[in-house]
Amino acid sequence: MTRWVMVADLRRCVGCQTCTAACKQANATPPGVQWRRVLDLEEGTYPDVRRAFVPVGCMHCDEPPCLDVCPSTATRRRDDGIVTIDYDLCIGCSYCAVACPYQARHRTDRATFAYGAAPSRAEAQRFDEGRLAVATKCTFCVDRIDAGRARGLTPGVDPEATPACVNSCIAGALHFGDIEDTASNVSRLIAENRHFRMHEALGTGPGFYYLWD
Amino acid sequence: MIAAATARQVPSYCYQCVAGPDLLTVRVEDGVALAVEPNFCAEGHHPGAGRVCVKAYGLVQKTYNPHRVLTPMKRTNPKKGRDQEPGFVPISWDEALGLVADKLNAIRAAGLLDASGYPKLAASFGGGGTPQSYMGTFPAFLAAWGPVDMGFGSGQGVKCFHSEHLYGELWHRAFTVSPDTPSCRYVISLGSNTEASGGVVGVKRHADARARGLRRVQVEPHLSVTGACSAEWVPIRPKTDAAFLYALIHVLLHEQPRARLDLAFLAERTASPYLVGAHGYYLRDPATGKPLIWDRRREAAVAYDAPGAEPALEGRFSAAAIEIGADGERLAEGVLAGETSFSKLVAHLAPATPEWAAAICDVPAATLRRIADEFLAQACVGETVEIDGAVLPFRPVAVTLGKTVNNGWGGYECCWARTVAVALVGALEVPGGTLGTTVRLNRPMSDRIGSVKPGVDGFMDYPFNPTDHEHWSPRPNIRNAYRSLVPLAANGPWSQALGPTHLAWMFLDGTPKGLPEVTFPELWFLYRTNPAISFWDTAALADKMARFPFIVAFAYTRDESNHMADILLPECTDLEGLQLIRVGGTKYVEQFWDEEGFALRQPAVAARGEARDFTDIATELARRTGLLAPYNAAINRGATGVPLKTERYDFSLDPAIPHGRDAIWDAACRAASAELTDGAASDGLDWWKAHGFRTRPFPRSDWYLYPALARQGLRFELPYQERLYRIGQELGRRLHEHGMSWWDSQLAEYQALPAWKDFPALWEKSLVQMGGAPRDFPFWLVTARSMQYAWGGNAGIQLMHEVARNVAGHGGVVVNATVAERLGIAEGDLVEIRTPRRATRGRAVLRQGIRPDTLLMIGQFDHWVMPFARGLGVPSMNGLVPLSLELTDATGSGADLVRVGLARVGERT
Repeated sequence: MTRWVMVADLRRCVGCQTCTAACKQANATPPGVQWRRVLDLEEGTYPDVRRAFVPVGCMHCDEPPCLDVCPSTATRRRDDGIVTIDYDLCIGCSYCAVACPYQARHRTDRATFAYGAAPSRAEAQRFDEGRLAVATKCTFCVDRIDAGRARGLTPGVDPEATPACVNSCIAGALHFGDIEDTASNVSRLIAENRHFRMHEALGTGPGFYYLWD
Repeated sequence: MIAAATARQVPSYCYQCVAGPDLLTVRVEDGVALAVEPNFCAEGHHPGAGRVCVKAYGLVQKTYNPHRVLTPMKRTNPKKGRDQEPGFVPISWDEALGLVADKLNAIRAAGLLDASGYPKLAASFGGGGTPQSYMGTFPAFLAAWGPVDMGFGSGQGVKCFHSEHLYGELWHRAFTVSPDTPSCRYVISLGSNTEASGGVVGVKRHADARARGLRRVQVEPHLSVTGACSAEWVPIRPKTDAAFLYALIHVLLHEQPRARLDLAFLAERTASPYLVGAHGYYLRDPATGKPLIWDRRREAAVAYDAPGAEPALEGRFSAAAIEIGADGERLAEGVLAGETSFSKLVAHLAPATPEWAAAICDVPAATLRRIADEFLAQACVGETVEIDGAVLPFRPVAVTLGKTVNNGWGGYECCWARTVAVALVGALEVPGGTLGTTVRLNRPMSDRIGSVKPGVDGFMDYPFNPTDHEHWSPRPNIRNAYRSLVPLAANGPWSQALGPTHLAWMFLDGTPKGLPEVTFPELWFLYRTNPAISFWDTAALADKMARFPFIVAFAYTRDESNHMADILLPECTDLEGLQLIRVGGTKYVEQFWDEEGFALRQPAVAARGEARDFTDIATELARRTGLLAPYNAAINRGATGVPLKTERYDFSLDPAIPHGRDAIWDAACRAASAELTDGAASDGLDWWKAHGFRTRPFPRSDWYLYPALARQGLRFELPYQERLYRIGQELGRRLHEHGMSWWDSQLAEYQALPAWKDFPALWEKSLVQMGGAPRDFPFWLVTARSMQYAWGGNAGIQLMHEVARNVAGHGGVVVNATVAERLGIAEGDLVEIRTPRRATRGRAVLRQGIRPDTLLMIGQFDHWVMPFARGLGVPSMNGLVPLSLELTDATGSGADLVRVGLARVGERT
């Protein structure tokens, strides 16, 4: 079995948003829609303050709350852990967006572009009307993973089979791989480091691990 | 996901900020650039593993931005000003270049210099030299032209690491300073915002180092992204960093056993043993004029380079000597008493206790003492490491400085104290320690180690501007007068932009006594710079710009500076143009490579509209101005970054005829191939287009200057600044001989051992001069680097704006949350930030990670013309900071700092 997970090393992340921008470009998300983004958090009171950067997005949960509430079966969970949305089935009800405790889902009703009503050449070439009025979210770049695997590549190791955010990360903070493979990069990182998952108590079983001290 | 079947991946580079260049690829489908991606082929070559930072991802939007200027334009409204609509209308390239060439030819016919002796042609480029990686062969055109005033600044040279640039190059060939991050263990960072400004390589190196256990103490008034990634944040009062560093040195000198310092390094590789006489100058050997040291073995004073000497590091000694002051004056001779430079340092910093500094810096004395102790404990004095077969000292500690710390008043003191602190433990220019990155004032610029040449008194040579009677001149070559005022600025290709560039602006409305009247240049080229936004007192600056008679702007979009232009010329942008640049070796900010070579920027897509490649524009201007021969000659000499003819190869161009873009860069590519292979290869443009870059090994040992000094028996010019003191005295005499007393406060900076001055008080005094009382303007307004926007060139890129908003502070002014509550200010409230003269407004961003007496404006983007950017509503400090001679230090620098008041003026919307 394979279970794809993301690992974010919070000790390395600098909050630069390179992953945010790379994701937006790789997935052609419209202005304001960020499937991957990095939170800028602060804790404490001056002068005892800590500031941390936390990449977030769809956690590709073991028990996705978004899936349970989806009335159209558009949201599904693959055997490899990737939570998908079938845009042809999605009716845009947004129950999933409400149910997601990670605020990972988005819905855009109208075509919007970087500079007003008209798309640029690049935007026009990437525009997908099927993404309007439906739920969207991080896909773990599933097309990339599938195409890469079909070519014998290893996600998380070979860039062409790896999510764009991980490829782009300049700090080496983001990692991707198969947690069921004990020899994988992510298994090793999780085994060797203190880690947590976001809102663990909710029992969603996020496929996104955070390393920290 | 992008369908791969029809895609091609085009290698290129990004050099939008000085932390580059970095290597990338562009995904192109059906002739349209769709995405920027890393260049994974560079993973084993580029120290950032072939990644590019967030900015590069904006290049697709930059290419297809609907607001681009896509045809040459000319102004139809002869009136200029912020309130004047320029009335730009499209014209043909032929007409545009004809208009420009006519002006240029008229200038050439009448003489290149005006009645004041200043060049009639001026040119300004922004971004710390990065525009040169996008301007093709335009430097060859400027070289062919002759004198050009490149001293009208847009912030560079003043709002940069200015003192670090100048003093850094003097002391250790350090245009900027970096830790040897891969092996460093302890960094004291005073405001050095590496995680925002260090680029891909800086971010990666520091992330790796943190994982390895590097401890970084971040000392700064607000908790920056770098502070967030540090082990400890020490909130220091703005502009008191020198006191912090002085206390650090005090602990090392007065509270720790002397044997814990690197005494051998101090004795052999610094001027610590040099004897200083009663007048403050070195005691010198009467026969040779060489500085004297006290030889413990001979029990006698000997020349610093006497074989077999065992220098005394401390003490007072008497010897037959002479003391030579300014202008060669013999101040004393006979048996003279002298004290070692090191002893003078010890005495100088005796009062600088942690308790003394605590009161100034608002940092507990115990914290200062602990940091000093940790620094010393981690210095590993006595340890060595083998690099490239050579055994070198291993000293894994560093002190780094950020903007506003290492420039403006106090910059000298901070740079000096930083360099002395690391020298005390031998951590200067050795593995693990504090390193220079590159040179821009010394020659050759491409070979930092090669720039180490013997100079006077056992130190490295340095190309000071002259201060002697015979060679100093009150008639500067350009309007910012760097040659007359700033000896440290040298006189190389970068010196004009490293002079006091705000003085050129200031003097337009009143030339101080002694200088030729500062005039408006007859033609001004602008490229990748927007002084009307990025400099200080921007409203006044824009007004002056409006009086420039003829401005030619290479324009990407309309902006606040080209609002005053007469001609707009659209050049190919980043993904459309062609250029080969050098990469690798050691470069600022943290670019330390194990390879060196070249990278190609190539047209990933066809140029939009009528945008034309910069090289073709330059060639055509050269042709129309009759400069084709010297232009081609400049290219042949190496204006493209590589000489086209050497003893090993010859790809030179026929000087008599114009050459197309591809022919020029094909020759450059072939020369680069030959250079990298010692003549074995001559691959041209097609090869480079396919491969993107080519490198050869760069020895790790060349990251460090220490071996070059040791080989030549040279010393770092520390701690005592006898030469600077002398130069300052001479400069003062020259200025006074010409009735110029308006630079006197700057002359006071030339101290052999710089004393702490109440630097914050200088800004408070400025506030009073503006008509304000400190109690009414209680906040220090500072700024910080934004990786997303860089210097503002990306302010018109929607993607950058969107993702930058995820980083706290980009949307307004950061206020301490407790202070805001006391003032009745809530998150998102509209607030006014004001000086006695000017005010700006923005949204309050409440954070705990900022001192109660400090406000932070990250953005400097209060655009009023640039499309998209003009609607951001982000406040900028640039309109509030005055252009001021009083706030100009001896290097000609200022600082991004101003005292302001704060008031709520509206609710969150």
